[in-house]
Amino acid sequence: MNYFFQRFLFSILSLFILTLITFLLSHVVPGDPAIVAAGPNAGAEKIELLRIEMGLDKPLSQQFIIYTGKLLQGDLGNSWFTHQPILDDLLRELPPSLELVFIAMTINLLISLPLGLCSARYSDTIFDSSVRLLAMVGAGLPIFWTALILQNTVAAEWQALPIAGRLSFEYRSFDGYTGFYLIDSLLLGRPDIFWDTLRHLFLPAFSLCLLFTAVGLRITRTAMISEFQKDYVLLARTKAASELRIMFKHVFPNGAPASLTVFGMQFGWMLGATVLVEEIYGRPGIGRYAVKAVTQSDIHAVVAVVLVVGVVFLLANLIVDLLLYILNPRGRFKE
Amino acid sequence: MKLSSILTKALSLLALSLALPGLALADASGTLIIAENETPENLDPANATNSTVNQLLVGVYDTLVQFKAGETAVSPQLATDWMASDDGLKYTFTLRDDVTFHDGTQMTAHDVVFTLKRLQAASAAVLNDMGPFNSAEALDDYTVAMTLDAPFGPFISALSRIYVVSKTQVEPHMAEDNARGWLAVNAAGSGPYEVSTYKPTEVVTLSASKAYWGGWDGDHVAEVVFRYISEPSTQLALLKSGEVHIAPDITVQDKLALMDTEGFKVDIGAAATPLYFQFNTASDGLVGDSEFRRMLSQSFDRKLHLDYVLQGFGSMPDGPLPPNWMGHSKGTELPFDLDAAKAMVDQNGWAGTKLKVRYLPAIEEEQAAVEQLQSNLSQLGIKLEAEGMTWPAQASTVQKLDTTSDINMIYNFPSFPDPHAILNTSFNTQNTGYNGGYNWAQYSNPEVDALLNKAASSADQSNRADLYSSAQKIIGADYPVITVSLPGSVVAMSASVKGYSYSVAHHQTFNYMDISVD
Repeated sequence: MNYFFQRFLFSILSLFILTLITFLLSHVVPGDPAIVAAGPNAGAEKIELLRIEMGLDKPLSQQFIIYTGKLLQGDLGNSWFTHQPILDDLLRELPPSLELVFIAMTINLLISLPLGLCSARYSDTIFDSSVRLLAMVGAGLPIFWTALILQNTVAAEWQALPIAGRLSFEYRSFDGYTGFYLIDSLLLGRPDIFWDTLRHLFLPAFSLCLLFTAVGLRITRTAMISEFQKDYVLLARTKAASELRIMFKHVFPNGAPASLTVFGMQFGWMLGATVLVEEIYGRPGIGRYAVKAVTQSDIHAVVAVVLVVGVVFLLANLIVDLLLYILNPRGRFKE
Repeated sequence: MKLSSILTKALSLLALSLALPGLALADASGTLIIAENETPENLDPANATNSTVNQLLVGVYDTLVQFKAGETAVSPQLATDWMASDDGLKYTFTLRDDVTFHDGTQMTAHDVVFTLKRLQAASAAVLNDMGPFNSAEALDDYTVAMTLDAPFGPFISALSRIYVVSKTQVEPHMAEDNARGWLAVNAAGSGPYEVSTYKPTEVVTLSASKAYWGGWDGDHVAEVVFRYISEPSTQLALLKSGEVHIAPDITVQDKLALMDTEGFKVDIGAAATPLYFQFNTASDGLVGDSEFRRMLSQSFDRKLHLDYVLQGFGSMPDGPLPPNWMGHSKGTELPFDLDAAKAMVDQNGWAGTKLKVRYLPAIEEEQAAVEQLQSNLSQLGIKLEAEGMTWPAQASTVQKLDTTSDINMIYNFPSFPDPHAILNTSFNTQNTGYNGGYNWAQYSNPEVDALLNKAASSADQSNRADLYSSAQKIIGADYPVITVSLPGSVVAMSASVKGYSYSVAHHQTFNYMDISVD
């Protein structure tokens, strides 16, 4: 368990450095939030007054100390533009984004793992080559382009899936407890809303995951190929174990850890990339919130978003480490 | 035409006119769905200078006076009439006594006074346009007196953005933030619509107020839904599939195509939001020299811009003020003449000069204008470096003279249709960038200042018109800006939308209160 304690401390340190860098960057980037807050024809006097009110007149080091001091008490501050506690804003924006990333990750795993495994088993066949070709294409597709094309064809032309939004018009007054509509709809016993949410999630999630799937697939394939070449596979084959058993019982559990690490990181990267599909599919979420905050120089909101994405990134990696630890008996026996 | 058919026509018209009053009194029904590219920051009337916020508030709150859609003269709203003292320092308003807020309380003079006091305490952006407004006091329940520090001509017009809040509702939330947090997500108005859901990055829903004091006479919808969709192609797809009725932000090409498509129409509002190239007149470099600026001012082809970038959706600018406005002066800016500019460059040996323009690349029109200027100037041997920025970044560079670039692009969004709102904002010394204003040309001419200040403090409209006219002539001779365009407010909508009208007085805003959907 000592290892996890170290990991935990390391994560806290990373978050602190992340906060420091974002805070510094936000202040170094030109832009004066006080001008924006003051509005048109404000006059220098009013801008100066607001600057003091917003605490921007203090030296940067002092601003940072005040900010982190509040942060340690769990206070992310108020947004200068929404005038709401940033925590409340994030609690509203995070669920739709996380929901999107969860579905994207699920699609990602459902494609990468089986295809990667089969591709490795039948490596250098036509099947393998086609999968690799597809992965190459997938890796080269920009997310926003895929999103636009899918929206124009599947949604707008064929009317097979919704064009935009989180829920259909008839459910516009739906409000849940958690903000995760997939969970809320089930809690409220509304399978129709669950299905509707899922339909709205599919295209954005698919557009978001494609790029990551291409990478995940190739990593899985490489990891599995090296497993297939190991002696235990030969041994299993000589013992006449079925090919399915070899693939799923032996090779997969041994090869998976290598790709799992990548998938863990992909979760965080995906959360950072949601803005691309959120804008196109007209979805609320943390990406859109962040863009608005950046264009207004809403510094505390920007730092908070980066911090939250950082926390999710670290949590995902921590969970992966935990999984690896459980999956790998050698780790357990060391203690 | 046969007699019988004429008779049938006449009879049906008669029937229709008999039926109309009945129709008009019918309850509001149906839903109007509007796409909007920018998400609102909040719902606070303190922030009504922002057009996205203002668009939401215009039907939720009432003001003392208001510009009806398409009109440029104020009409009474909460105030029935008003009087200015002879010295122009005191205005007395008589209020309606039949107005109720959505919470059921009656609107009185105390609500108006509270509204203004709260805006002052909150250093509200919306007060920036109220000039020398000092204070308000309730003389009795339905009479309000407002005091100014100096006479201010457009004072009544400026009141069209002061949305009156219910004191009963807002006062308990004043605490330390002057109710900014509460009003950011709640409404306390008396307008025809109430806010029913507020999810600022997704959707805002307004529903018709059942007990609206103004009564429901005319066609409207029961529910107005704003969906925040930033991607133009998504707005188009939603418009075509019938999921939104109004899509203001689709591309110019798509708007052109929809003009000839059955089931859709395109409205071109005569917007008064000029786009400028502002030259840093205070620069130590060449651009500080008015002869050099005279050369620059001939290097941009406005007609080409209007025809190709705006696809004809807009009007040709003639000087900084929209041509149909009071006090407009003709021919104050030089026409496009690249040969004349070239001759000046050759004569003065300006070839090889390097200039920098700052602009917002996110706005297509600005990007296109910068590209044209770049290409024209390169023909003259002048290299124009283009630096795209975000709004807060660009605004912060003009706060000091030494960080102001040679050229800045900026739109002027007048808060009300009065020459003051454009000329004073863009050309008065007190509004220079270094003074915290939008005169990013850092233009300072005492003669112009005197004329603008005099016009602002006069109540005599014809006198004001003369003063503004003279001011434009002097400004024109100093070449501080190129007025690039007067883009129209082009909005695509479903043919089922009835009663759409662009609000000239509130830029990028329209009257959803008067719209019905078939």
